[in-house]
Amino acid sequence: MNALELLGLAPQIIISVAIVFQMLLIAVKRSTVIIQLFTLGSLIIATLTLYITLPALDHQITRLFYLDGFSLGVNLIILSCAITVTVVSGRYLKVSQEVHDEYYLLLMLSTLGATLLTISNHFASVFLGLELLSIALVGLVGYLRQRRHTLEASFKYLILSATASSILLFGMAMLYAYSGEMSFNGLLPDTLDKARQSARILAQAGTVLVLIGIGFKLSLAPLHFWTPDVYQGAPAPVTMLLATVSKVAMFTVLIKFWFFAQHYLDQQLSLIIVGLAFTSMLVGNLLALQQTNIKRLLAFSSIAHMGYLLIVLMVTSQNSMQLAMQSALFYLMAYCLATLILFTFICETSKANTDSDADNWQHWQGLFWQSPLQATAIIFALLSLAGIPLTAGFIGKFYLLTAAVTNQNWWLLASLVIGSGIGLYYYLRIIFVMFMPIKGGETLPKRGVVGQSLLLGLTLALLTFGLLPQLYQFY
Amino acid sequence: MILTQIILVLFVGGIVAWIFENQKNNSGKWVCLLAIGLSLALLINFANSNHEIFHQYVQLSNISWIDNFNVFYATGLDSLSFILISLTLLLALICVLVSWQEITDKVGFYYFNLMASIAGIIGVFSATDLFLFFFFWEVMLLPMTALIAIWGHEHRHYAAIKFFIFTQVSSLMMLIAIIALALINQQQTGQLSFDYFVLQQLSVSADIEFYLMLGFFIAFAVKLPSFPFHTWLPDAHTQAPTAGSVLLAGVLLKTGAYGLIRFVIGLFPQASADFATTASWLGVISILYGAKLAFAQTDFKRLVAYSSISHMGFVMLALFSFDQIAYHGAILTLVAHGLSSAALFAMAGMVYARLHSRDLQLMGGLFASAPRMGGMLLAFVAAAFGLPGLVNFVGEFMSLAGSFKAMPLQVILASLGLVGSAIYGMYLFQQSFQGPVKTNIIDLSSRELLICGSLLSLLVIFGLYPELILNHFETYFVNQVSQPVLGMEAIG
Repeated sequence: MNALELLGLAPQIIISVAIVFQMLLIAVKRSTVIIQLFTLGSLIIATLTLYITLPALDHQITRLFYLDGFSLGVNLIILSCAITVTVVSGRYLKVSQEVHDEYYLLLMLSTLGATLLTISNHFASVFLGLELLSIALVGLVGYLRQRRHTLEASFKYLILSATASSILLFGMAMLYAYSGEMSFNGLLPDTLDKARQSARILAQAGTVLVLIGIGFKLSLAPLHFWTPDVYQGAPAPVTMLLATVSKVAMFTVLIKFWFFAQHYLDQQLSLIIVGLAFTSMLVGNLLALQQTNIKRLLAFSSIAHMGYLLIVLMVTSQNSMQLAMQSALFYLMAYCLATLILFTFICETSKANTDSDADNWQHWQGLFWQSPLQATAIIFALLSLAGIPLTAGFIGKFYLLTAAVTNQNWWLLASLVIGSGIGLYYYLRIIFVMFMPIKGGETLPKRGVVGQSLLLGLTLALLTFGLLPQLYQFY
Repeated sequence: MILTQIILVLFVGGIVAWIFENQKNNSGKWVCLLAIGLSLALLINFANSNHEIFHQYVQLSNISWIDNFNVFYATGLDSLSFILISLTLLLALICVLVSWQEITDKVGFYYFNLMASIAGIIGVFSATDLFLFFFFWEVMLLPMTALIAIWGHEHRHYAAIKFFIFTQVSSLMMLIAIIALALINQQQTGQLSFDYFVLQQLSVSADIEFYLMLGFFIAFAVKLPSFPFHTWLPDAHTQAPTAGSVLLAGVLLKTGAYGLIRFVIGLFPQASADFATTASWLGVISILYGAKLAFAQTDFKRLVAYSSISHMGFVMLALFSFDQIAYHGAILTLVAHGLSSAALFAMAGMVYARLHSRDLQLMGGLFASAPRMGGMLLAFVAAAFGLPGLVNFVGEFMSLAGSFKAMPLQVILASLGLVGSAIYGMYLFQQSFQGPVKTNIIDLSSRELLICGSLLSLLVIFGLYPELILNHFETYFVNQVSQPVLGMEAIG
């Protein structure tokens, strides 16, 4: 391992070291405030060190990792999301004398897993990162064990996630059996052509299994059944983590697996992706229509958004790959910003000691007249998810459309148009509820300065990237 | 930069009005009047010193905006944009005046939304970069939807969502067409571009041109609206507050017609010529179907809303006949309908303010207690059914006369629409103001008289001297749409 490789891994090393220090800190003095600040500090430092990884850009780092502009951009998203989660968790968890140090430990572990996934170029590192992420998340999902829904969600996530991991592992084994290679670049179709016919089928089956494993984590329809329950049951900051960090990291793996191993040249595999995209867009949007629980609604809308994102995978040539990566990166960023805003608000209005989070959006009636800043933030976040101009979500959708038109995926475009049309209905309903007259008697809990400024900052970022998208570019 | 200044004045005016209204009641509307007046002054001043805008499309600003996609903040002005922007500003004044006493709740935010949507509409009329055009096209919808959803009548949420989804989905198709156009340009010239003038030079194979044209056409046909994309309009118009209806009917529908002229016919002359027969039949169906449905309504605003569909059918028919006279007729109809439908919706608002109902069956004999109001309504209804002397007559007559050469059968059927408009117009007037006296109402106040009087005098002035508008369109039209005329002859 040379200096350049160490440099390239700097953020991950810093997070790992910080985790060790977290444990030492717990041994020395147990205090929720100290460990929260420590977590926040080390995450910020890790984010800053992304800058010093620049010399290692486009380099192989050991056999396991490969750092490119896409990973860098995604890492920035993941670390920013983790920072936001850390900030909002403080208020959310502050209900009793109980010290929540293991919560932050798990948070850091899952962040480490996610950042490892983004630079992985090898099945070993993918599995390592994935398990770090998932196991830590299981702990987090069930963190508020006194809640009924939380326990259910935690079990559901544990069992289904373990199943998905084993399917993924099986797929990897099949691919290894055929190619003798564990890195993505070793699975090129050139080598595939030379193999015997029976081995080819083995390889294809393996790829399909890997796709299913990843599809489960991304909650693509029809592998989405765990999503709404887990979103609803998990504590709000953890749902935030699930919806952003976990999804983004898994999508990065999918993109690298798909592009580096040139699976996009395979017609049959492409057909599977198209099918997943179709069903995800329609199922996600249709099921979101009747939800009164904002967390479930966002779960379904995230299914639809992952479906939209699959469009970038359908490239026809090497040339349009860069546009596809760029589109995916921007779309993920816009999606995460909007999700962060919505969940920040949910975290701000909920508390860990209640039986469930304040997740009925019909209680937001009159929010605009009561608290204009928060309502404006939510409105822009929803408009961004719906892809309306002024917001980053529009540019994200613009990228997707450009990628789809470049590769002439007219059917996917059609379902994108239909899906967005359906999506508008439930986004608009939430917005209109906030404009309705204030209901007497119900007042929202008092709002903290930290949460308010966080919302303001995120909304400004959402608008800035919507008006000047060139600020977010890694190619 | 003049257009940017106007947009900024309006937008900032809206914000200032919001802040002032929160500080002191009833100050917001004055700020709005001031901002709109200033914008009008800026526009007139600019037009006085720059006469070339009446002869060609003048680019006024071109600043790099999004480098990745080579998008520019580019605006331009020609006589078409100028007329429509002036109409918008004029109706903006009317909108503020009709809202004067109607809006009592959340007044500051109301004026902000009103001003923001006007600013967006002016952006639509002035953008020459297709990305920027789309940007404004979407942005103007947001405050408009808010106006309907917050200050509308009983079914406002339903109407607002329907309005928004219809326009959004159709405009996504336009966005796909825009992107495809830009990418084709990239293939041919190596440069991604959204610039109107660059894309106009593009030569595309007939098949692809047709599909691209269709993408644009659907978006604008929804906005116009044309049969079968019209169903959002009666709901949106009926449920919107008075100023919202005035803005929707007076200006927002004109963005659809503007898009047809500028983008569908301007960018795809050949494909539009191929599509002309279908489009003209859609126009004819809109005329007759709109008139028929208008007659069947018992709701004052819904009746006027359906009549809008009918009138916009004339514009569609005239535009796709590719005839100079018909084109002039279409422009005049746009202006005429902008003024007369705005007046009718304002009237509906005034009646509603007195009776708290839009139901025609509850009205009757209002003439006895409000003769001035009755007189005005009669005049506006007469305008709507094309009484000679008012500009609607000139517009529709020229549309039909011009189109006759190219498509006689459609014109014969369309002229039945004139009969229909007389029927529903008289029905409206009889039901509300004649017959046995059912209720008594207060006659027009001086503010309301000002609204009606100014709109009526404009209708008369342009009706007697349509050259005031038409003089600016001669040279321009021949340059722009000469190709399709040849194309039509080749086909015919």
